Amino acid sequence: MEKTYVVDIPRRKFLKLGIKGGIIIAASPYVIEYLTSCSGKHEIFPPPEINREMLDKVIAHALKKGGDYADVYVESRTMRQILMEESKFKSGLYGVSQGAGVRVISGNRTGYAYTEELGYEKLIRAAEIASYVAHNGNQVIPRPVAVTERPSYITVKVPLQEVADEKRLEVMQRADHAALSYDSRIKMTIIEYNDEIRSRIIATSEGVYCKNELPLLFFIVQVMSDNGSSRHMARERLSYHSGFEMFELVTPEEVARNAAREAIAMLEARDAPAGVMDVVMQNGWGGVLVHEAVGHPLEADNIAKGIGAFTGKLGRKVASDCFTMIDDGTLSNFRGTIDFDDEGTPAQRNVLIENGVLKGFMTDVLSARQLALPRTGNGRRESFRYIPIPRMTNTYIEKGKDKPGDILASTKKGLYVQSLSGGSVNPITGVFNFTCREAYLIENGEKTFPVKGATLIGSCMDVITNIDAVGDDLDFGPGICGKGQSAEVTAGQPTVRIRGINVGGTRG
Amino acid sequence: MNYTNLVEKLLKKCIKLGADAAEVYFQSIRNLSIQILNSEIETIEEASSQGVGFRVFTGNRMGFSHCNNFSDRSVEEAILKAIEFARLASPDEYNVLTDDKTVSEVTGLYDKDMSAIPVDSKIKMAIELEKAALKDQRITKSSGSSYREKEMEIYIVNSNGIMKNYKTTSCSLGVSVVSEKGEQKTTGGESCSRIYFEDLLPVEEIAAVAARKAFEMLDPVMVNTQRGAVIFDSDAGRALLGGIITAVNGERVLQGASFLRNSLGEKIASPFLTIIDDGTRPKGLASCPFDGEGVPTRKNIIVENGILKSFLYNLKAAKRAGVKSTGNASRSGFSSLPGIGAHNVYVPEGKNLKNEIIAATRKGFLVKEITGYGIDPVSGNFSGGASGLWIENGEIVHPVRGLTIAGRADEILNAIDMIGNDLDINRTFATPTFRVAEMQIGGK
Repeated sequence: MEKTYVVDIPRRKFLKLGIKGGIIIAASPYVIEYLTSCSGKHEIFPPPEINREMLDKVIAHALKKGGDYADVYVESRTMRQILMEESKFKSGLYGVSQGAGVRVISGNRTGYAYTEELGYEKLIRAAEIASYVAHNGNQVIPRPVAVTERPSYITVKVPLQEVADEKRLEVMQRADHAALSYDSRIKMTIIEYNDEIRSRIIATSEGVYCKNELPLLFFIVQVMSDNGSSRHMARERLSYHSGFEMFELVTPEEVARNAAREAIAMLEARDAPAGVMDVVMQNGWGGVLVHEAVGHPLEADNIAKGIGAFTGKLGRKVASDCFTMIDDGTLSNFRGTIDFDDEGTPAQRNVLIENGVLKGFMTDVLSARQLALPRTGNGRRESFRYIPIPRMTNTYIEKGKDKPGDILASTKKGLYVQSLSGGSVNPITGVFNFTCREAYLIENGEKTFPVKGATLIGSCMDVITNIDAVGDDLDFGPGICGKGQSAEVTAGQPTVRIRGINVGGTRG
Repeated sequence: MNYTNLVEKLLKKCIKLGADAAEVYFQSIRNLSIQILNSEIETIEEASSQGVGFRVFTGNRMGFSHCNNFSDRSVEEAILKAIEFARLASPDEYNVLTDDKTVSEVTGLYDKDMSAIPVDSKIKMAIELEKAALKDQRITKSSGSSYREKEMEIYIVNSNGIMKNYKTTSCSLGVSVVSEKGEQKTTGGESCSRIYFEDLLPVEEIAAVAARKAFEMLDPVMVNTQRGAVIFDSDAGRALLGGIITAVNGERVLQGASFLRNSLGEKIASPFLTIIDDGTRPKGLASCPFDGEGVPTRKNIIVENGILKSFLYNLKAAKRAGVKSTGNASRSGFSSLPGIGAHNVYVPEGKNLKNEIIAATRKGFLVKEITGYGIDPVSGNFSGGASGLWIENGEIVHPVRGLTIAGRADEILNAIDMIGNDLDINRTFATPTFRVAEMQIGGK
């Protein structure tokens, strides 16, 4: 069993990054010229050797010994990461990775192998290893692959390939300046800029051949405040499958000021209470709670194994009437949007729970076969090094009718959670935990003072039956979801109230 | 395979293309992963891969790039891109490469026989493990068993004339099971990781631990919110170490982003607590002869009898702090820059039997599992979800689930009053059972 978790920044990466001192200097014209002159040197993707005839041969080889299904996934990824710490340009990182994976499904078995060299011989060798699991002598005749059109939900105005690094540094400097000038108690910033372009080709024994390019931007501003007696590290993120125009829609200053606001507000945090209480969760990234607590248990792999928390509950009432939950991989340019999943299935809007009734699971090719359910476009993978598994895309609680102000005002005593860091769930038992990053005590229908990062724990079934108010202010936030491999997602929700969650504070 | 020529060629290329100094970090990996469900193969994955990371310097400005394709064109593009990034940075006096040509003597890092053991017998072993875990009648379902192995080779060369390499292996065997009773459902899992295949524990032993973790949590009773003694068993104790290790990261200390930043040489914990980071332990899963920058690894005493003795450094943070690298440059692969990380971290064992600690506890909580982030390294606050066994009058009375425990790191660490003698040194983050005299416990 893989434990799942979700976080709002790549935490482990952050913890491991070293000190890389230095001060940003404006890029000279020479440097800019140099950048453009170099861009012509890129390897072409896919290399000419990867053509449809060759992929047909690889798929045929993968199914030679039997099996029900085979696919080939070819990927090339170009990524940039720039890190600014303590107002200095610490490091720039550029990387290219490419490879291809061959998978065979035979009954409940999966065989997988990948290669980083995209030659015919190497792919045949991978097909050979993947076919190890074929045991049923089932002779599936693969259909020759043919270009399969899929709709796209991602638009790009300023392609990342055409952006000079100087522009990237500039948005980072703007964020740094905005954060530091917000308040004198802001002592330090850590700003991380990431972009990547993932090109992929998917070819399957069902004759599907899909190809596209996914640009992705991820901008993270962390701000540390210190007033001599307490400190708080706040953060704010911005991420879309988009071109560089993202920074016109939401400016780096806005991102930085949001982080700075949290950093200052939390300096006054007092000890959090301990015990069971009502929780009002502000709209936006708080949706990550249902992403973990309800979303993961609705991924069909554990259902197919017969061990998931929602096994046997399809069509049944599992949540309160006001609760509707959706996973939608087609929201324009969202971080979790995929056009089609990593098995070639088109992305779609999947209603998971409607007015409290369980309507569907999120499937990949394998779990859809095992459960005789439709494919929902949720078969995703981190890279060619991983097999696809059922994953979420953009997951959210549908908006309701309540006014956010009324929800707060009608809560006598409890915790107002403005943002969560992240958390995890055991998808079999449905037991989850979350850490608050910014939270306030609610007394007589009003937010009073901020409280230190407390843990929220509970079980998914309790949460969705105890949600009794859903606001009309749906919003989203970007994150990283882990399930043995990572996936980019968004989580969303309107302001909601959950009756009775166990809060792990230090005050009795 | 010998990659010496390749890495030397790549280093020369960095210099030829315009770098004043450079480092090439090369990694070659072979992976095998077998997952079993209900005595059947669920997944088999096998792959080998190579990749290289370039750190290049122009003056003392640094840039980094990586690639996994060794065609001249790809390699040159990556190096040029790293040089461009270096030119965008301004000089930084702390940017240095090592010139230490020595390595630490570390034995037992490579099992040359592992890859020759047939895949079929590895599959069989994982099936046996799952069967053994299902033996107990209280276990109703399997959520799968697995066998994984990895063989890795690392090369570091730099323009100071360093040329170092080592090979290592690791394998692990694990299982996870479900126990159901009426509407209740609990899970339990256990795994064993070793450098040598022959050192893996017998499947019955691993299976019994996984099964017990699942069924011993059936029929929990909720307790009131209260203060009480909290006993951390080894699985739970590990969760506390993480935040401390991050807080002694020398870089975070320099940035002021650590609750321990002003505590060097001071008492931060009770005299019972010592924390050691050892990169040289024979057969240690996180041991290696040199760190991610080529600096020899060593044994670092972080906390000794409650006194904070040392922070952890890579070359750059050490130079900025005016100290020597502690051999803790970490890389999470060829595609990452050297950061700071620990090797094998452990709390040396004390004198008490686990049962003695339980017997000495009038009222308390034996924590078996902690969820959440552990200690926040910036503020030192701790809050987590916890499950385990409830103790009254020195005896375990029933399981408890869905509790929270919380406190400030200094209060928790100073309240440690008993340490067990049950350390499992084979884990990379290892503590024996220990007791914190009093903490806030959140229940109903």
